[in-house]
Amino acid sequence: MSGNFWQSSHCKQWLLTQDFLTRERNEDLQLLGETDYQKIMMFFANVIQAIGEQLKARQQVIATATIYFKRFYSKHPLRSCDPLLLAPTCILLASKVEEFGVLSNNRISNATTSVIKSKFSYAFPNDFIYRHNHIWECEFYLLELMDCCLVVYHPYRPLVQYVADLNLADSLLPIAWRIVNDTYRTDVNLLYPPFQIALACLHMACVMQNLEHKAKDWFADLNVDIDKIIEITRVILKLYELWKDFNEKIEVPELLKKMPKAIIKSESSGRTSAPISVAIMTYLVCHTWYLCTADGLGYIFWTS
Amino acid sequence: MSSKSSRYEKIEFLGEGQFATVYKAKDTQNNNNIVAVKKIKLGNRAEAKDGINRTALREIKLLQELHHENIIGLFDVFGQKSNISLVFDFMETDLEVIIKDTSIVLTQPNIKAYMIMTLQGLEYLHSLWILHRDLKPNNLLIDHSGILKIGDFGLAKSFGSPSREYTHQVVTRWYRCPELLYGARLYGTGVDMWAVGCILAELLLRVPFLPGESDLDQLSKIFETLGTPTEAEWPGMTSLPDYINFKPFPGVPLNQCFSAASDDLLQVISGLLRYNPVTRLSASKVLMLPFFSNPPAPTPTIKLPLPATCAASLAKGAQQLKAGIKRKREKELEMGGLAKRLVF
Repeated sequence: MSGNFWQSSHCKQWLLTQDFLTRERNEDLQLLGETDYQKIMMFFANVIQAIGEQLKARQQVIATATIYFKRFYSKHPLRSCDPLLLAPTCILLASKVEEFGVLSNNRISNATTSVIKSKFSYAFPNDFIYRHNHIWECEFYLLELMDCCLVVYHPYRPLVQYVADLNLADSLLPIAWRIVNDTYRTDVNLLYPPFQIALACLHMACVMQNLEHKAKDWFADLNVDIDKIIEITRVILKLYELWKDFNEKIEVPELLKKMPKAIIKSESSGRTSAPISVAIMTYLVCHTWYLCTADGLGYIFWTS
Repeated sequence: MSSKSSRYEKIEFLGEGQFATVYKAKDTQNNNNIVAVKKIKLGNRAEAKDGINRTALREIKLLQELHHENIIGLFDVFGQKSNISLVFDFMETDLEVIIKDTSIVLTQPNIKAYMIMTLQGLEYLHSLWILHRDLKPNNLLIDHSGILKIGDFGLAKSFGSPSREYTHQVVTRWYRCPELLYGARLYGTGVDMWAVGCILAELLLRVPFLPGESDLDQLSKIFETLGTPTEAEWPGMTSLPDYINFKPFPGVPLNQCFSAASDDLLQVISGLLRYNPVTRLSASKVLMLPFFSNPPAPTPTIKLPLPATCAASLAKGAQQLKAGIKRKREKELEMGGLAKRLVF
């Protein structure tokens, strides 16, 4: 959505701090460590991307879905919901919010099933076991835990404006765009406003294309906190460093084994491989679920 | 977590629309404030399968970003099993009720006040690149103190992206502008402005200005009243997807349609009901017209008329409130005046 970023829920409620993330993720980080946690997040960002591409969804939908996924786990430990269920759910919600045509629950389920089989069988030896009802029940839950903040701003639009202003769209846009795509494998989108991310990516693209001299004055004239741009650049460079040696096929199965999962006292004798959806279902049947917009509601944990 | 289903205590049924049922309720966790709970209907099976209703999601998405005195406020969203409910400001009445209530006299200062509030809400909305797409008196809600708020964002959408086409099946027919009736897929703020023009006319006439019985009849009603437009007056008209040639009507001069309206008011109407959507006035432009700065001044909101039924219930409410405050004071006294809340 267009509109005013500075008055948006994204700006007011969803620009988090590194301290906040460290604190909220404490439980997962203790178990996994920073690097493995990021690798798990990178892997699931790839899963979301693959499902989105299978559905021929627009990048905007995929990007929004990825942010929803990150927002969820920025406030909740991994064991609170199976990421494999949350990933297609985020795509369903994002496709509705971005209003780029209808992606039915059915199509999303099918796409997830086929992507898991064709691309991620090394990580998920079993079929995709979640059904429509799991996904839409999870959707309620996702909406609730994001405090109903659905509009997300991305760096793509400011990026396009900046390269046009620089008059270097042809040589810079494709590469800067790809760097922006890569930022969704990091936390920068939870920490910095999109325009700063766009500038950091643009600057990196300038360096890579040896066009720094042409853009030097333009950057110098900007009235932005250059330290922030440098911070973002560092995070992205760290990502590339990590990515270089990340062998998903070997590491991911191990990581998923290590990943904390929901422990459920399941009343219905559901498949043990789908604990969280059973949890959500029992939760929804037993209680009224509650979403809050104005007053912050505490966490809801049903595992002990 | 305490059970939240009981937070909102149902008081009475208010109405039912295509997508939702609305109840009056009190918020037991917030001073028994009166709120409106809009329970979204599940829809048919095929729709329910795709999760949260799109219309409800659109309202949640947009209202979460909108904060303006003349836009309805969304307080809360909650769900029960697979039902979703939205909690809004409780609004006593709406402009349709006021227009139809013949015991209410709408003076020019009253009309001016309603128009200013509508236009300010709309100006804010349009400045955020959002179209309402369903403006009608029924969606202009009025609270107990006379403040008008634009409601029902189930059809609202952001606009301005040149590559995206929209459906022309929006806006209740009587308030639908000619470009939508001719099937335009790319349109802008003009669709809302035309609707405002029709609403202003209705405030003056106390009956719908252009009550078409079908889409075609709507066009002929428009042309009979305002004259058939020419390509010169509205460039691009003939190339719209559903364009059809109409018999040229001369139209009725506006000062004959609205014989009681002053010249500065007629200027507002003609600015809003221009055929060419490009030259139709924007909310900001309309607000700058002399009508809004000329005397008489708009009625202060608190003095705007309310239907008799609302006024009665309000008086009752005020009495209860007074009694409530008294009770609370007595209680505080009992506790030695130390009833302070701990704030964390």
